[in-house]
Amino acid sequence: MYWELSLETMERRELERHQLRLANASLARARRSPHYGQALARLPETGLASLRALEELPFTGKSELRAGFPYGFLAVDPEEVVRLHSSSGTTGNPTVVYHTRGDIADWENLIARCMYSTGVRKKDVFQNMMGYGLFTGGIGFHYGAERLGVMTIPIGPGNSKRQIWFLQHLGTTVIHILPSYALHLAGYFPELGIDPRRDLKLRIAFIGAEPHSEAIRRKIEEIYGLKAYNSYGLSEMCGPGVAFECLLQNGLHLWEDHFYPEIIDPLSGRLLPEGEEGELVLTTLKREAMPLIRYRTGDLTRILPGPCPCGRTHRRIERIKGRSDDMLIINGVNLFPIQIEKTLMAIPAVGRNYLIEVRKVDHMDRLEVKVELNEDVFRGTLAELEKLQARVVAELRAELGVSPVVKLVEPSSLPVSEGKARRVYDLRGGLG
Amino acid sequence: MSVQLAVFLENHPGKLESITKALAEAGVNIRGFSMASEGEYGVLKILADDPEKAYRVLKERHYTLSRRTVEIALIDDRPGGLHELLTTLSSRQINIEDCYGITLEEGCRAAIVLDVERFPEAEAVLRENGVRLLGEGEQL
Ligand SMILES: [Zn+2]
Repeated sequence: MYWELSLETMERRELERHQLRLANASLARARRSPHYGQALARLPETGLASLRALEELPFTGKSELRAGFPYGFLAVDPEEVVRLHSSSGTTGNPTVVYHTRGDIADWENLIARCMYSTGVRKKDVFQNMMGYGLFTGGIGFHYGAERLGVMTIPIGPGNSKRQIWFLQHLGTTVIHILPSYALHLAGYFPELGIDPRRDLKLRIAFIGAEPHSEAIRRKIEEIYGLKAYNSYGLSEMCGPGVAFECLLQNGLHLWEDHFYPEIIDPLSGRLLPEGEEGELVLTTLKREAMPLIRYRTGDLTRILPGPCPCGRTHRRIERIKGRSDDMLIINGVNLFPIQIEKTLMAIPAVGRNYLIEVRKVDHMDRLEVKVELNEDVFRGTLAELEKLQARVVAELRAELGVSPVVKLVEPSSLPVSEGKARRVYDLRGGLG
Repeated sequence: MSVQLAVFLENHPGKLESITKALAEAGVNIRGFSMASEGEYGVLKILADDPEKAYRVLKERHYTLSRRTVEIALIDDRPGGLHELLTTLSSRQINIEDCYGITLEEGCRAAIVLDVERFPEAEAVLRENGVRLLGEGEQL
């Protein structure tokens, strides 16, 4: 069940020594880039004496990456670069990430390691419904699956009826899909007369690239009759493959032979004691083209205590709770969209899709949640709708400490997305 | 007993029309309907000549809807007709969740659509009291 037994189960003390060696090598490589040549100028040639000493080094943020566009972070001769990826930025310079042949090989290997740990084998058929292109989600899994030796269908997202046709006629057993798209796709089965549990051979889904609740995962598992594994990554590190759930589905093993994690308080930047929730900061240990030191991911999580029964020694992070910049402040109360999703999905009469809007009304923040109905439970009376509306308000108020306005809407009133679902619209504008 | 469709609708201009249009295009005849509304949203009940087809047509257009079993009682269109029917049910403590009437074209009979609790019992009571109920698949 291990792709690389000795690395995945390396004894903790040995793993930490290994990490320190890699971290010093990574720092030395990083200093060849214009940015780190300056930022790490005062670092002694001998490197760090302990991993803990990383704490003394400055953070790298998305704004530095943008400022360093295009080559400020490149640590190798441009000739050695074989690929570029870019993260979805809507304003300013994009953040670009370069890869050498070695970086690509390492990345493929990490994805293969992840897939293998959940039971994917050569005989499987893998349908990759994640976007290809500059986005790392599709391509990362594509090459990882090929490395593992699985037949890979590079279908990409969208065109739902064709997706289902492939699932059915090629006997697809493994999919990689956005959680929101998995739910959207499920809406097509009734009209096609297909029962995914009975008519398809699916057994494993990889879901990631957007924060989702445990309830959503369970829903996907139930609809399709498979096991869904959470994957985590970001293009700045490589893409997917940074952390991954094992068969136990209890936290994501962060591959510590490639990345060194720290958890900090997003406001003060102070390192938090192990087990506390904060922002994940990562240092690349093996990347060649573009090493990143103490990169602030913006993702909120915590490191789970104790070893995992699967035998892997790499520490686990909890599912991503949200991004530090996703946090909504409603009349002074902090909340995360994922809390709303978790609450909605626990109410059977609520459908799969929802939308959150925040606006100013008479100088106060108003949180509006639009939900669709679960058809399977809808009996067709007005009374049940009034009851449902009241229940959603009450449960959200209990979870958030903020009283929302809840609207029941038809499915057509909610945007349908086949890419990353945008579910939060902050319409307050400016500094409000 | 008959099948009635209940469609969830937001209250916006044109919503109702989009449903009647879809059904008309599919050649489904609407025999009766009623709309219960709360302000922001409502439930449209439709009696169609072909409920299964109507269900499929609306489902394909991604409406949220359900099929509900109702009784359709045919009563004489004269003073007291409806009162007798309702008394029959209330005397047995059977609640009516929803009800609406349709006057049939010839003007001498009316059809009352009854959404009642305790179905089989309600049906038996009405039959005992000589109320003519529309059978399954029987058209108005
Ligand atoms: Zn494990």
